[in-house]
Amino acid sequence: MNDIIVKSITRLVIPFLQLYGIYIILHGHISPGGGFSGGALIGSSLILYTLVFGVDRAQKKFSHRVSEIAESGGILLYLFVGALGIALTGNFLSNKAAGFPLGELGSLLSGGIIPVLMIGIGIKVASTMITLFHVLIQEESQ
Amino acid sequence: MNLVNDILAHVNFIGAMALFVIGLYMVVTHSNLIKRIMGINIMGTAIFYFFIAVGNVEDGAPPLLDPDGNALTFINPLPSVLILTGIVVVVSITVYSLSLVVRIYETYGTIDQKEMAQIEAEDDD
Amino acid sequence: MIEQLPIINLILLLTTALVIPLFKKQRFMVTLILSFVVLFIVWLSALYLLYHVNTTGAFYYRFGGYSPTIGLELLINPFSALFTFFVITLLMIIFIYSTADASDGIHEREYGRYYILMFILLFAMFGIIYTNDLFNTYVFMEILSITTCAIISIKRKKKNYAAAFRYVMLNEMGSLSYLFGVALLYMVTGYTNIELVFQGVQDVWVIYPTNIIIAAIFMIVGLGLKAAIFPLHIWLPDAHSAAPSSSSAILSAIVVKVYLIILVKVLFSVFGITIIEALHIPSLLMVIGAVGIVMGSFFAIAQHDIKRMLGYSSVAQIGYIVLGIGLASSLGLRIAFYHVFSHGIMKSVLFLSVGAVIYQRNLRKVTAYNGIGYMMPLSIGMFTLAALGMIGIPLTSGFISKFNLGIAALDGGQGIYIIILVVSGILNAIYYLPIIIAAFLRENPENQIYVSKDKVPLLMIMPILILGAFIVIIGVYPAIIFDLVDSAVSTFSF
Repeated sequence: MNDIIVKSITRLVIPFLQLYGIYIILHGHISPGGGFSGGALIGSSLILYTLVFGVDRAQKKFSHRVSEIAESGGILLYLFVGALGIALTGNFLSNKAAGFPLGELGSLLSGGIIPVLMIGIGIKVASTMITLFHVLIQEESQ
Repeated sequence: MNLVNDILAHVNFIGAMALFVIGLYMVVTHSNLIKRIMGINIMGTAIFYFFIAVGNVEDGAPPLLDPDGNALTFINPLPSVLILTGIVVVVSITVYSLSLVVRIYETYGTIDQKEMAQIEAEDDD
Repeated sequence: MIEQLPIINLILLLTTALVIPLFKKQRFMVTLILSFVVLFIVWLSALYLLYHVNTTGAFYYRFGGYSPTIGLELLINPFSALFTFFVITLLMIIFIYSTADASDGIHEREYGRYYILMFILLFAMFGIIYTNDLFNTYVFMEILSITTCAIISIKRKKKNYAAAFRYVMLNEMGSLSYLFGVALLYMVTGYTNIELVFQGVQDVWVIYPTNIIIAAIFMIVGLGLKAAIFPLHIWLPDAHSAAPSSSSAILSAIVVKVYLIILVKVLFSVFGITIIEALHIPSLLMVIGAVGIVMGSFFAIAQHDIKRMLGYSSVAQIGYIVLGIGLASSLGLRIAFYHVFSHGIMKSVLFLSVGAVIYQRNLRKVTAYNGIGYMMPLSIGMFTLAALGMIGIPLTSGFISKFNLGIAALDGGQGIYIIILVVSGILNAIYYLPIIIAAFLRENPENQIYVSKDKVPLLMIMPILILGAFIVIIGVYPAIIFDLVDSAVSTFSF
């Protein structure tokens, strides 16, 4: 797409989209939203970038290697935090029972392991969405 | 009048059932592969709609603890959480089947089920 | 620590799937050794769990320690421990075979990915069997169906894409129907935990029978689609014959059985015997099973491609299991479970030995097997053994299944199904015996020309021999399996 309007508006919108996505991920435990919604926002901002500037430039920003690491990393973070629950007595994914501080109701740093899990999910969802889109597009162009 | 009231009271469930049947009809009857994938998506949406309708509470608040300690009537959060998972699943199924359609188009040169069957029959001869 | 074993199994399988891509640069051997070590550890822990639940009793595993009303729960009882052990044992043996025969149509770059898929497949099956939650079952079921489709389409051939597409569409219809059933049950009971749903369903059965009837229909039809119960089987022969040989064995012997296991759970743990008897589901299932046995065999006779023939034979064998479930007695369920084992082993042997023939000579036509028995005595010998088991010759596990199924049918006052069993034995003989006779008694020197590889590797022959030995062992000493199966059946109340 070689339209100047589309390009400039995209440049303008993408940072806000991503910031909003990060906001939603981080506030997942005290407001509606969470890892999946925020991750989907970030992912769609990258999809928008791909649509406007083409796959090749998007690949430079977010290559297969990076997305592979991010995808595995997201799950591994989740599994690791969950396994901490096993190690610190209690069960897989234990929160309060395993001694994680719950913090004050309504503040950003609260909820024990939930914010960490949300970050893991957010990374995973964002990178998966962009990978799926890239794979689909590249398959067509082959 | 009674019947109308009954329908109005259960409009969510009737709507979900109608969507489900429409989706099923699309999957079964259409020979265009993309339309069949759309049918699957409609079926999925129908069930999500149904689940959310089950969990809804009249005048309910979002299920977040109020910092001021007011007791609120919450909507049931569990169906929403289940549906979030369901959406992820349907998205991945959609992407997978779309990528299969791309491959099918490359190898068969068509995305129509009937033409595919014809090509397969010619290959067998 | 024992309580943590199930979750450790799940985590181990999932992390292995995630870790395999990291070894892309290393030699392929590293992946194989790592995979085998993980499989072996999981096998040991599954074995220990089987021993543990049979001596000290069942236990629950609750995620995060939440109560089952809001949290997820795994249930490890003799039933789930037995079937996870079955899945991992069979898969480990097939894994050994696949290390030598991964070349069956898979691109070299894709070898690593094949094992990633295999581990996710195993993860999903373990999850399905362990979990005590209806919605969680749905999620694992979807993971299982996506991975299965990916395994079918991993061979880059025309037919595979078409078969995988048909599979994904029908499976998705099946899972969404199942999910609708879960939604309807959630609507009247307010839970997704199987035990709580069971309680709720018994209570509200009088008030909201419509909901429960519709839920039962949706769930049974959905699972029937996924388990290829007779009129809903159309995807199975295409999908199973298109997949690589080792995964045909996995799909036919294990994956389909997992859906039947969910069906058993849904029928007897969620709805309970009183409700399904009131809805006449068991007698319906028996008729469907019987029709499936006969029609599946008829279709199999008409096939020219040997892998398609085996696929239709699976449809017929699923009919036996459905018939056993439909008897709705502990005797019937016991024999259904036994046949899950017996068919799993026999069908793996059939697919793997055919895979060995395809590997060495690239023969897929039924008519091309003339005289091949002398060139590949071990593979075809084991093929013969498993085929005799399918027909139901004494000393094989197939005989025990049929004999006991007949007794169970008589015990339930359904003697007419014995005729079906006899007819199906004859039909099985009609399509298996000509292959065996042609392989050993007909001459066909032309086959020499087709040899593409000199020798079948030992790693491919060994698993076939081991599984072949199992057919005879559990055919002569069925008590080994029956002891375990009986304690699994006792977890359901009749």
